[in-house]
Amino acid sequence: MLGSGIARAPLGRTTIHVAIVVSLAFAVLAGAAGYWGVVTAPELVRSPNDAAVIAAARTVPRGLILDRTGKALASNTSDANGEIHRVYAGRAISQVVGYASTIYGRAGLERAYDPELAGLAGDPLTDAFAKFGADRYDPKDLTLSLSLDLQKAAVAALGKHRGAVIMLDPKTGEVHALASTPTYDASAIADPLTARATFEALQRDPSQPLLPRATLGRYVPGSVFKIVTAVAGLGSGAITPESTFKQQPGTEKSGLLVDGYRVHDGHHPKTGSKALDLIGATEVSCNIYYALTGLQTGGAGLVAYANRMGFDSPLAFDLPTAVSQVTNGDGTMPGGFTDDVELANAAYGQAETFVTPLQMALVAATVANDGELMQPRLVTSMTGRHSGTKIIRPRTMGRVISMADARAINAAMVQAVEGLLGRQFTTGAKVPGITTAGKSGTAELGGTGEPHSWFIGFAPADDPKIVVAVLVEQAGRGAEVAAPIGGDLMTRYLKGAP
Amino acid sequence: MTSGAMHGVRTPALHRTFGPIRPRPRWLELRLLGLVALALAAGSVSLGATVTRRFGLYDAEGLLIYLGALFAAHAGQVLAGRRTDQILLPTVAMLGGISLLLMQRLPQDLVTQTFFGTTLDLAQVQLVWLLCALTVATTLGIVVRSDRWLRRYKYTWAAVGVGLLLLTFVFGTEVNGQRLTLQLGPLSGQPTELLKVILVVFLAGYLSENRALLVEQDTRIGPIRLPPLPYLAPMVAMWAIALGIVVIQRDLGAALLFFGVFLALLYVATGRVSLVIIGFVLFLLGSAVMAVLFDHIRTRIDIWIDPFADPLGSGFQVVQALHAFARGGLLGVGLGAGLPEIAGRPPIPEVHTDFPLAALGEELGILGVVAILGLYLVVVERGLRIGAAAADDFRALLAVGLALVIGVQAFIIAAGNLKVLPLTGVTLPFISYGGSSLLANAVVVGLLLALSDKGVEPPPPPRVGSRWRRVGRPRAD
Repeated sequence: MLGSGIARAPLGRTTIHVAIVVSLAFAVLAGAAGYWGVVTAPELVRSPNDAAVIAAARTVPRGLILDRTGKALASNTSDANGEIHRVYAGRAISQVVGYASTIYGRAGLERAYDPELAGLAGDPLTDAFAKFGADRYDPKDLTLSLSLDLQKAAVAALGKHRGAVIMLDPKTGEVHALASTPTYDASAIADPLTARATFEALQRDPSQPLLPRATLGRYVPGSVFKIVTAVAGLGSGAITPESTFKQQPGTEKSGLLVDGYRVHDGHHPKTGSKALDLIGATEVSCNIYYALTGLQTGGAGLVAYANRMGFDSPLAFDLPTAVSQVTNGDGTMPGGFTDDVELANAAYGQAETFVTPLQMALVAATVANDGELMQPRLVTSMTGRHSGTKIIRPRTMGRVISMADARAINAAMVQAVEGLLGRQFTTGAKVPGITTAGKSGTAELGGTGEPHSWFIGFAPADDPKIVVAVLVEQAGRGAEVAAPIGGDLMTRYLKGAP
Repeated sequence: MTSGAMHGVRTPALHRTFGPIRPRPRWLELRLLGLVALALAAGSVSLGATVTRRFGLYDAEGLLIYLGALFAAHAGQVLAGRRTDQILLPTVAMLGGISLLLMQRLPQDLVTQTFFGTTLDLAQVQLVWLLCALTVATTLGIVVRSDRWLRRYKYTWAAVGVGLLLLTFVFGTEVNGQRLTLQLGPLSGQPTELLKVILVVFLAGYLSENRALLVEQDTRIGPIRLPPLPYLAPMVAMWAIALGIVVIQRDLGAALLFFGVFLALLYVATGRVSLVIIGFVLFLLGSAVMAVLFDHIRTRIDIWIDPFADPLGSGFQVVQALHAFARGGLLGVGLGAGLPEIAGRPPIPEVHTDFPLAALGEELGILGVVAILGLYLVVVERGLRIGAAAADDFRALLAVGLALVIGVQAFIIAAGNLKVLPLTGVTLPFISYGGSSLLANAVVVGLLLALSDKGVEPPPPPRVGSRWRRVGRPRAD
């Protein structure tokens, strides 16, 4: 060339290297665009922080939320200035429906279905072309499986107690009632004029009315957890319905020694020296029988069957749920138990076991639906003004145990409600004239506090139409508080309001 | 290579610098500009259909003025008859056209400026700057036939650059915690935009002269082989200037840009990866110290690590940008249909300067973003090609450096928009609103155009100074 430099040639080589690096850097940018625009997009466009969601909230009336009979649970009204805000059908539904406030954001279904209610929902891939449509917003009306009447009855039954009630159809997973108390006035939060005072008072309230206990509360289950142990024991083949433990009767008085710790029985040993089988042990809620069943099943089996029913991960549900656990999982034994003592105690619900009331309803639903668990659900259809109605069909979470095993537990739970000894533990749980299955629980909290009162059950036992789970915080024995609430609500559902 | 260039080495004065000007057709450029006009018209119709619900150009006047100017620039180059690159102008024109459509589409009161009694709003101001930029680029591409004025005065240029920096420091006004803006009567400008061009000129001059030394001599420190330390002094000086920019101007983006281009040019000139790594480590160390010393830099980094930690507070801008990309998805929502307004404002603060890519990501989708990134890559590719074909090291390094100024700057701000890097306040070349940015990038394009002409005055023979003899190299000619 022009002889103008030493080592002229290498410039071309290094320039190509630079070109490669720049191209790779830009490829990273294209990848990032794909990540935000496709991979995380479904989550981002549904977020309440999304500008389109915020903008729609101020200009477009939200879709309605209706109960299973078409009664409006959430509707819109406008104030003197013409600003739109929400009104709700009473306090009973607040922890389910939630609120939509321009000041405090959204909660409950208003949050979970915000994009649909605001009319923005859409999958970025399938709706890529729909976005070009003339109408930007298509608010959808949600129809719930919830029954406003039953929901109100459940909240009224809990009264001044703190607690939760879940009622669902085990064959479809449709939730008919999802009550949490204490509750609050969501309309007052949605109304900008009263929002601030209402919300700040609720945040200060020590009884935590904003907490949806049915889905986000985690409680010691006590004896209702025995149904989980029964499912795991029968499912894994560790026991049969006829299995007995010969050391069980002998240790009723002194307690069963497990690794130096004594498992005591809560029930008075009216059963004498008879070795109890599944039905007998469930009738009197025998801790020793279930501790031995848990040990026989092993930690891995207990956790595996619990997880099949939804433990250890948030439930697939319309609302966010807390994670229920059998154990902390920080131990080295199979399943994550620390030792046999923890496993034995967990088997009757008194170790590091914490559950949501909804999770316990699913345990009862598994038994009621002959071993197959249906996914719980609230929203049964969505109707858009432009897009028409979309029906959301029942979905199964899979078969947990065989029909025969489920029927065996079903029979044991019937005995726990109808049996001569059993009815003392579940007073008031029976639906008059209808065979009822159930299990009560009294969850000791340690210390001097009153135990949590639990009841799970279903009716009619031979063709279950309704499952109920009742938790009442620190209300005493299961038989005294939770069981009558469960019985009354099932009666109301099956026979209509008294 | 013309025959004039072949014997130009010995008789540079006789070279036909200003011969008779003969028009020369530029068919490729014309065809590409036709495509650009078509694409922009389609975009304008799409925008118009969305906003006015009628079929027709949106703000036809602005677009037609812009397209007219493009073809005028083309005609000017045809008449000038130079054999300059024909792809660069249409590529940049497309980016500028996208900018015009975007500015037309944003709320017009984001910017209003009064020039001589006439009040212009966002799209009009941007159109004026686009026309100025086009004029600057074309004029430089036509007029510059010699690089002597750049080559010979590199230290003077460096001094001018440092002077601009100091001027900004002393007289600059602070905007959003950054002291970047210099106010001159009704005009305000950001000198760092021009500084990046000056920097490349200086580096090209310095590196082309000292390249052999940096390549061939070693200073050994244990097992590490480094180039002669005295010649690393400018590198340390650069490092100091880059960090100085961070300290004085609080402008992390400009520092990143300067240092990135510097390291790239150092690599191109020397082929030494070790230098790049050392420089990179020094920069990281410096940034770490800055992050410890300065709250606003630490805040930026915190936001980068997790903008969703405070989505409605400090992370708002970045989070809203990411949401914009998400709303856009693969194909986008269409020009004019995105950026849902909250209380009459676009959801992303400073969308017209810092986040145009997010706005385009929403309205044109990922495909649009990839296409825009592709346009920048074309600009870089043209620059590197011009560099590879240049007649000597100075021109090669100058062309590569100028191309990288565009490429690296586009990368930095795009990466900031996409949360690949912390957000910094540099502009997206040719698309962001702003006169300084458009003019400085127009200078880059103009110089690249001029450098691409193989018929220009050949470079002077290399200076064979005392340094060469000390090294013991034979005379190059």
